[in-house]
Formats: sequence, C-alpha cells, structure tokens
Amino acid sequence: MVLSAARGRAQEKQNAPELVVAAAADLSTALQEIGDAYEKKTGVKVKLSFGASGALTQQIQNGAPFDLFFSADMDYPRQLIAAGAADGPSLYQYAVGKLVLWVPADSPLDVEHQGIKVLLDPSVKKIAIANPQHAPYGRAAVAALKKAGVYDHVADRLVLGENVSQAAQFVESGNAQAGFVALAHAVAPAMRGKGRYWEVPVDLYPPLAQGAIVLSHSQHKKEAAQFLEYIKSKEVAEQLRKYGFTLPQN
Amino acid sequence: MAIDWQAFWLTLQLAVTVSAALLVLGLPIAYWIAFSRRRWKFLIEAVVALPIVLPPTVLGFYVLVALGPRSPLGRWWIALTGHTLAFTFSGLVIGSILYSLPFAVQPFAASFAAVDRKLIAASATLGASPLRTFFRVIAPLSVPGLITGAALSFAHTMGEFGVVLMVGGNIPGVTRTVSIDIFDRVQSSDYAAANETALLLLAFSFAVLAVVYGVNRKAWVIGPVN
Amino acid sequence: MSDPRMHEAESATDHQPSGPLLSARFRKHFAAQAQEFVLDVEFQAAPGFTILFGPSGAGKTTLLDCVAGLTTPDSGRISIGNRVLFDVAERTDTPVAKRRVGYVFQNLALFPHLTVEQNVQYGLAHLPQGERATQTSAILEAFRIPHLAQRYPREISGGESQRTALARTLVTDPAVLLLDEPLAALDAATKSKIIDDLRQWNQAHRIPILYVTHSREEVFALGERVIVLDSGSIVAQGTPHEVITAPLQETVAQLVGFENIFDAIVDSVHPERGTMSCRIAGDGAPVVLETPLVRGGVGSALRVGIRAGDILLATAPPVGLSARNVIPGRIASLEQRDVIVSARVKCRVEMEVHLTLAARDALQLARGREVWLVIKTHSCHLMHK
Repeated sequence: MVLSAARGRAQEKQNAPELVVAAAADLSTALQEIGDAYEKKTGVKVKLSFGASGALTQQIQNGAPFDLFFSADMDYPRQLIAAGAADGPSLYQYAVGKLVLWVPADSPLDVEHQGIKVLLDPSVKKIAIANPQHAPYGRAAVAALKKAGVYDHVADRLVLGENVSQAAQFVESGNAQAGFVALAHAVAPAMRGKGRYWEVPVDLYPPLAQGAIVLSHSQHKKEAAQFLEYIKSKEVAEQLRKYGFTLPQN
Repeated sequence: MAIDWQAFWLTLQLAVTVSAALLVLGLPIAYWIAFSRRRWKFLIEAVVALPIVLPPTVLGFYVLVALGPRSPLGRWWIALTGHTLAFTFSGLVIGSILYSLPFAVQPFAASFAAVDRKLIAASATLGASPLRTFFRVIAPLSVPGLITGAALSFAHTMGEFGVVLMVGGNIPGVTRTVSIDIFDRVQSSDYAAANETALLLLAFSFAVLAVVYGVNRKAWVIGPVN
Repeated sequence: MSDPRMHEAESATDHQPSGPLLSARFRKHFAAQAQEFVLDVEFQAAPGFTILFGPSGAGKTTLLDCVAGLTTPDSGRISIGNRVLFDVAERTDTPVAKRRVGYVFQNLALFPHLTVEQNVQYGLAHLPQGERATQTSAILEAFRIPHLAQRYPREISGGESQRTALARTLVTDPAVLLLDEPLAALDAATKSKIIDDLRQWNQAHRIPILYVTHSREEVFALGERVIVLDSGSIVAQGTPHEVITAPLQETVAQLVGFENIFDAIVDSVHPERGTMSCRIAGDGAPVVLETPLVRGGVGSALRVGIRAGDILLATAPPVGLSARNVIPGRIASLEQRDVIVSARVKCRVEMEVHLTLAARDALQLARGREVWLVIKTHSCHLMHK
C-alpha cells in the first residue's frame, strides 16, 4: 500500500511538466516572481534563461530546447516566425519596456534633473549600453543618443554589455559612470536605492514593444499556451506595472 | 571580405604584449619554483596553477568588482593611471597575464629544473654569481622550455574570451578582440563573417604553434656530455 | 700572521714548503643507500695529493661538497690557511663562488653548449680579454689539448674531456683542488698521462689536492697521504703504505683487500722469538697459525688477515721450508679471473688462494685435489676487532 502510494507520488512529480522559458535580460526579476507565483498556483515549474534577445534568438534558431520566448522587442519573435521556429498565432505583446539613464548613488551627476546632458560632463569616462547589435535596449539607447544630438560626443566612450543586465552591472560596479538600462532593472530590489535614474522620454526612441511567443519545437505546447494566458491576467499586469512596464493598450 | 582587421590587429598586440610581459615576470617565479627548497613551495605552485582550473569568469569577476573602483586596490589603480582596469587595453593585459601565467611559468620551471645540477654547481665553483650562472648556463640550456612557454602564452591569449567578455566592454580598437568579434557575428546571425574570421584565427594559431614546435626539435642536449 | 699550523706543514718531511693548509673539522647529516649517516670528520690536507679512499656511500662526495660550499655542514669549521671558509660559531659561510675551491666532478659537468675553449675560459670572466686568452691557451698547452679549442664536449673523447675539465678548473688558480673519482672511466695509459700532467702542475702550484678514489692502484700511484672514510667516519690516516700494507682496523682491511679474515684467539706468546700462536676455530680441530707478536696476552681475541696472493700452494707435503705455517686441505673450487686463478681451499677453515695460470697448469690442479697451504709468519696480519 505504502509502496504504491510512494510510486504514485513519484509519478506525479514526473508528470508535472516543466516549462523552459527564454527571456530578455530586463525581465530578470519580474519574470522570476511571476514564474514562482505560477508554480504555486498550478504546480507547473517555470525555468528561466535570461540573455540578450538577439543571443536567445540565435540559440532558438539553432535548436535550443525552449518552450517560450519573451523578447524585449517584436522583431526577434517575428524573425523566428519567419524561420518557422515559432508559432505565429501565439505572438502576444505582453509589455512595453522603458529605457532609463542610471547613475550610482554616490555619483555627483544630477541625472534626475539634467537628464541626458550629464553625459557631456568630463567626469563621465565610460557609458554602458547593451550591445545594439543584438539587444533591443542597446538599439534604443543608440537611437535616444542620436535623437538627442549627443551621440557623436559620446560614441568613443561607450562600452557594450552583452545584454542590458551586463550593462547595468558595469555601472553598478562603478566601472562605468553612467549607463542606459531597463527601468525594470532600476526599480528591482537588487538595484533600487543603489542609484538614481532619469526616464528617457519615449519620443527619443522607438517604443520597446516586447513580445512573447510559443516556440515550434516545444514538447509542452499546451502548458506553454496556458502560461501565456496567465501572463494576460490581471495579477501579472500588476507585477509588470510594479517593475515599470506599461501594458499595451489593447 | 568581412573580417574585422582591427580586431585581429588588436588581438595580436594583446598576445605579443602579454607574452613579452610573461617572459619578464615569469622567469623569476619559475626560477624560484625550480630551485627553492622551502617547504611551502607547493603553495606557490598551486597558486600559479590556479588559472588553469578556474573559469575565466572568476578572474573577470575580480577585475570588475573586487578590483573595481569601489575597492581600495581599484581606487589606487585609478589614482595611478587615471582610469579603471575594466574597459581598457591595460586591463586586458593584466587580466591576460594572470590568466596565462601557468602556461608560461610551468614550461619555464620544468626546463630550469631539468638542467643538470652539477652544471650549476660547476659554474658556482668557477666563481660565477647566481645571476651569471642563470644567464650563461641555465637559460641557454632551457631555450626549448622558454620558447614553449612564450608560444603557449601567445596562443592562449590569442584565444582568450571569457575574461574579455566580462570586462572588455567590446570597444573597437581597444577591447574588441577577435574572439569577441566572432561571438558577436554569431549572435547577429552573420555566420559568413564569423566563419571567415574563425578560419583565419585557426590557421594563424596553427601556423604559430607548428613553427614553434618544429624549431624546438633542434634543442640543446640538456645535461653534460660524457 | 704566524699560524702554527702553517709551520707544522712546512716541517713535514715529504712536502715542499709552501702554500697554506686545508684544515677541516665538521659534522653533517647525510643519506646513502636509504640509510642516514653522520659525516663527522677532522683532518688536515697539506699542499700535494691527499687521497680520500673509501667504499661507495662512505660520504666522500658529501665531504668534498662541504669543503666546496655546495652543502652546508651542521657544525664545524673549514679554513685554508688564514682564510675561514666556514665557521658555525662565527656564522661564517662563504658563498661557493667566493671560496676559490676548484672542483672536478665525477661526471665532469662540462658545459655542453660551450666549446672547449669557452669552457676553460668560463672562470676567467673577471680578467681582461687579452690576459684571458693568454692564460687559456697556456693551460690548454699544458694539458695537451690546444687542438680541441673549438670542439664541443660531445665531440671529444673521455680522456680529452677529463683534461678539459681539469684545465677549466685549474686555470682559475684555486686555493684547493677537489677531484671526485675523476679517472674512473679511463684506461690505464690515459690515466697515467693525465696524472703526470697533474703532478707537474702541482709542482708549480703548491695547493692541497683532495683526490677521491675507490681504486687501490690509484692510491699507490698518487698518494702522499691517504684518508680512509667509511660510513661517515675517518677510520685511518697516514701514508699509503701505513694504511694499506699494515692496516690497523678491520674496515680498512676489508677495503684494501685482505681476502681471508678470521677470528682468532691468542694461544701462546713467544716474546723472545717475536712471534705468537693464534687459534682459529674450524671444522673439527682449530687451525693454529704462527703470527708476528702484537700487544695482547694469552686469550685475547683478535682478527687475522691474510692476502690470497701471499699463500703458496703445494701438491705434496713440503720439506725444508722456512715458512712456519703449513696447512693441509682440499681444493673446493677453481675460478679463473683474467690472468689470475682463484682457488678456494677447505682446510678446516676455507681460504682463498691466488695463483698464476701457469702454476695451475703445471701442478695440474683440479677440484678435490689434496694440497698443502704455506703461509709465512709475516703474511699474517693481526688487527683489533
């Protein structure tokens, strides 16, 4: 009797599916909390892999076994649909990300009032951004700098992080004096209080419409779709707002 | 051709600088390891060998945070040079020196230790100081080991990736090395360019190593003739 | 600066008066053949050849290394004349390079990457170029190897290597010369030529030379004085004759080659004749030998040593002989060793006898043959246990 009960429980554990999710670096705290809540609710474990959207796209195209992809833009998911690696109809814009200019707490720069102009200060030797070649936040940062007319002044002082998390880390460790990071980073518990930031005006860069999609190679399409439905729920909307994401106007 | 020649040239400069630096820094360390009879020598040997087993991310972490501008050592460095270790060529050089240290020191030390001790004793009894003995007896008889150590450091630095990724900042002409270039191309789906660059690096490294090992076979006989 | 030791050296009979004395007294732990020994020695070496003789593992190389400074003794003092090389009490330990001790190693240690000329010049770096060249060619001439100047060590013969090693060391004008079995691998002819050249050089440069060997022939060929070393201690010192022909201690006897050594008890003494009788225990009745008289009354225990070459063999009981010891026995075995025949004869004890091939053939000796051993009184050497 005891044996069969134990076996039964073991089988339960085996049967409870796991979802493997590739997610953009700016979601590193938000999606962790959302995933934990989902597991408590449904018993489905959500495993997260963070990186630059471009890097993750590459991995997926080369067969990486993810079930879902949360990009920091809409283009990478579209690229995957075109390549047949993702389920077109499942594409869902789950949030709009925000770009901020962040400085460490002990910085003499008054970024909250001066905004992008602080980058012209001679004390700013290095400015961190995500690599624009494969990170949407990096592209947004370059667009903002160009639109604000300061790109040529600062181009030789840019240091590129592999993804927007590494860019945030460059600034947080003090190796860069300022950096363009995701609002989600700036308000996350790990960085909040360690610095000050300025929200880059949305007219300076193309909106960071962030899309999520179910991937073609997924072995758990049903569970993946269910998770995506959960993302559309009110509780998740609250979580995302907490992290500075705006919800798309449906 | 889509090859980033600037990245290549930069990587070459890095490798040459690091190998040259390791020839200077590595020799005294190797000499001590080869000839010291202190009981705690094994501790130093373990420290020298660490970079072989540690992931480059450990080194990268220390350069970034533990030696960063918030640390006393980092602040001292900034005061001395005016900039951080991260994001600079000199930062890469220092990181690479530490990372390639065992690849230089171990062959150096092995070849010193292989020199017949009687030759060293003979040199001393003929009135030569330890320094003179080193330059006139030990070093000439260790040339194969010296060449091997220099070549390995060179090749190892050419291929360095982890440390550069963590602390380089990908600045063209300063920290954007060939390995980073290849990585970026792949990330951007530019497989053609990545392939070209990778092949070039492969061919170049192979040529360097082949020349070194080919020349090395005409080695001095290590040990007295009798 | 009148050093009493120097006066002592000058009044020593055999040596020409001149150069300073090597004076050494030290202890050093060392290991040989998986055992730990203590090298504990005290000796002096005057200008000229002093042979250091002993079996392998005795500590001869360690002794040389201590004098040269390559090994540091645990305690003691080493000096050449007034120059103190090492003194534990005064915390003096002159570095090797400053001791001016010439050392020719067992394996020669010629620098393989330098020519013969460059090897010889190695110790003259402090001299100006011209003088260096002059001295180098002079010593190459003296040792008869000027034609090898541009050759490399791997291109020259064993004897030529030896000469090069000697030239290299001697050109630096050392205060003491240490030679560690330098001629071991050479043939007799080459050896004697080199020894002659070395002697000649020593006439002109009166310095102490410590010459290590385990060959008895070399001791006689070279030695003015011998120091016998065994298991870290000096067991005998003296002229070669004193040490080897009448050894005072059994260890030395074994070293110098008494093939027959027995325990003996003094049976009776005959002081008026200068002889005594000793009893050697054997199968059945003991063997009685008449030996020279030494100190020790009846009943004292001694050791008797007899050289195999000192025993005569007869195939019939000899008559009218002067020898006092005639012992009957049987040949147990015959072994030819080069030009010598070694016979083991059982005569209540077992004795080894050396004969010529001619003798063996003339007497038609074979195993089992009954023979008589003839031993002169003075061929029996008595030693303290």
